[in-house]
Amino acid sequence: MSVTNDEVRHIARLAELDVSEETLPELAAQMSRILDYVAQINSVAASEGVKPFVPGPDAARFRPDELKPWPMAFGPERLAPAWRDGFFLVPKLGQFEQSDL
Amino acid sequence: MSDPSDALASAKAAADRLVKVKRLNACLTPTTELRKSLLAQAQLAHPSGVLYGMPVAVKDVICTLEFTTTCASKILEGYHSPYEATAVSRLKAAGALVAGKTNCDEFAMGSSTEHSAYGRTLHPFDKTRVPGGSSGGSAALVAAGAVPAALGSETGGSVRQPASLCGVVGIKPTYGRVSRYGLVAFGSSLDQIGVLGRSVHDAARVLSVISGRDPRDSTCEDRDSLRLPTVPESLQGFVIGIPKEYFPADLDPAVRRACDRVIRLFKEQGAAVREVSLPHTPYAVATYYIIAPAEASSNLARYDGARFGPRFNGAADVGALYRTTRGMGFGTEVRRRILLGTYVLSAGYYDAYYRKAQQMRALIAQDFRNAFDRGVDLLFTPTTPTPAFKAGEKLSDPVAMYLSDIFTVTAISLPIGRVKGLPIGGQFIGQAFLEDEMIEAAYALERVVPSSEEV
Repeated sequence: MSVTNDEVRHIARLAELDVSEETLPELAAQMSRILDYVAQINSVAASEGVKPFVPGPDAARFRPDELKPWPMAFGPERLAPAWRDGFFLVPKLGQFEQSDL
Repeated sequence: MSDPSDALASAKAAADRLVKVKRLNACLTPTTELRKSLLAQAQLAHPSGVLYGMPVAVKDVICTLEFTTTCASKILEGYHSPYEATAVSRLKAAGALVAGKTNCDEFAMGSSTEHSAYGRTLHPFDKTRVPGGSSGGSAALVAAGAVPAALGSETGGSVRQPASLCGVVGIKPTYGRVSRYGLVAFGSSLDQIGVLGRSVHDAARVLSVISGRDPRDSTCEDRDSLRLPTVPESLQGFVIGIPKEYFPADLDPAVRRACDRVIRLFKEQGAAVREVSLPHTPYAVATYYIIAPAEASSNLARYDGARFGPRFNGAADVGALYRTTRGMGFGTEVRRRILLGTYVLSAGYYDAYYRKAQQMRALIAQDFRNAFDRGVDLLFTPTTPTPAFKAGEKLSDPVAMYLSDIFTVTAISLPIGRVKGLPIGGQFIGQAFLEDEMIEAAYALERVVPSSEEV
């Protein structure tokens, strides 16, 4: 399995992650190596039809639906990089960028 | 330290010891802040608590109110959590003192504590080597004698491996034994808080305090906290399985000698020893390499510079803000895993990778059940194939640093000997939720194994 620079660029876009052009070849090589390595699990025929593993309790449990005090020591305004009047501030949305995906 | 008459004296002594080991870069909390906090906590500690006055360091992926929680990442630099982990609340309720935040691989991704945005942690016995990881800071602090116990977390060996390399005890509880509330998520289906301690007893009593049901974590099992077993006279009655796949031809000879010595001790102590097979072991690392990055790519989507953490400014629109913040905030290893995880979850690949890996995982889990169903109480294996390796030695190869034993239900690593001064660890693997039985055997082995002698 060989991953190309273009594929890394595409995946980085899906992951909302800036990746510099200079690091693309190295990332592509490392991802190819890892994907080659993990491909070995496809050689185990016995796994066909096996129910996929799910950890934890068999069924999701729910808490009682009760009103409780706000569990945080302080509010989001203390954490926010930018905050005004109860809102997180971010730059404008920009244009939709689906065309090249 | 189990019941000091003066928590204040304990806090002062802990602060002094933590200053002494500063050169290890194992603790991320500045020493003056740490001292001040320890003294303040000592004033408020519950004297009737079972851990009264005991300083316990906490891995930096576990939320605390006292100190920042950065996950050793630039993307959470200076982050103060507005809530604390259930495990930390329980430690404090038992009278323990939160003794700072420990260094680790960024977001717990790594096995050497070299992938920290705040510099690597040194091995306490040899500064040219790594302490293991990702809970390397916790292991190094315990090994250096700065704290009797520390919390770590494990997704694929991150408690046991550093415990083994540093010569301390490490317990990885069964998934669901300890609440994950307040543990920053990496691979949610694998993550579990664990304990590192200077002895089996220190680690076990901390585990006992932090374990048990928690309505804030729906994956935490509805069970009471772990009851500590008594120290047994011998291993009489135990059937211990030795999985042959964990003793490959290229196993380090000193590690093999140390394990052989332990197996002789088992027999002398009255245990029955049997060879067993876990045939899907060779596929465990590949399986981990799909599941953990897939879950990480999803979990780490929340770090985008919009709601918390630093923001790398100058972005023209919100998409650019996300990409710049994430591109600059995450380190190399984390970026690599996010990309890999996004790739295996992307359209057309899900069935070939993630679903297939979860099927593989079911087969691996079945291997363990089969061994236990055939009358084996516990398994024993080397914890790591070699002692601590040199810093930088395994950085270039992306698949070199993973353990193969990542689907064990519960396990405890303890020191079983040394080679050229470096610790060697061995581990018991126990059945799901039978930590007490496993700890009982570890007590017995700890008493007889010459853990500080060369093999």
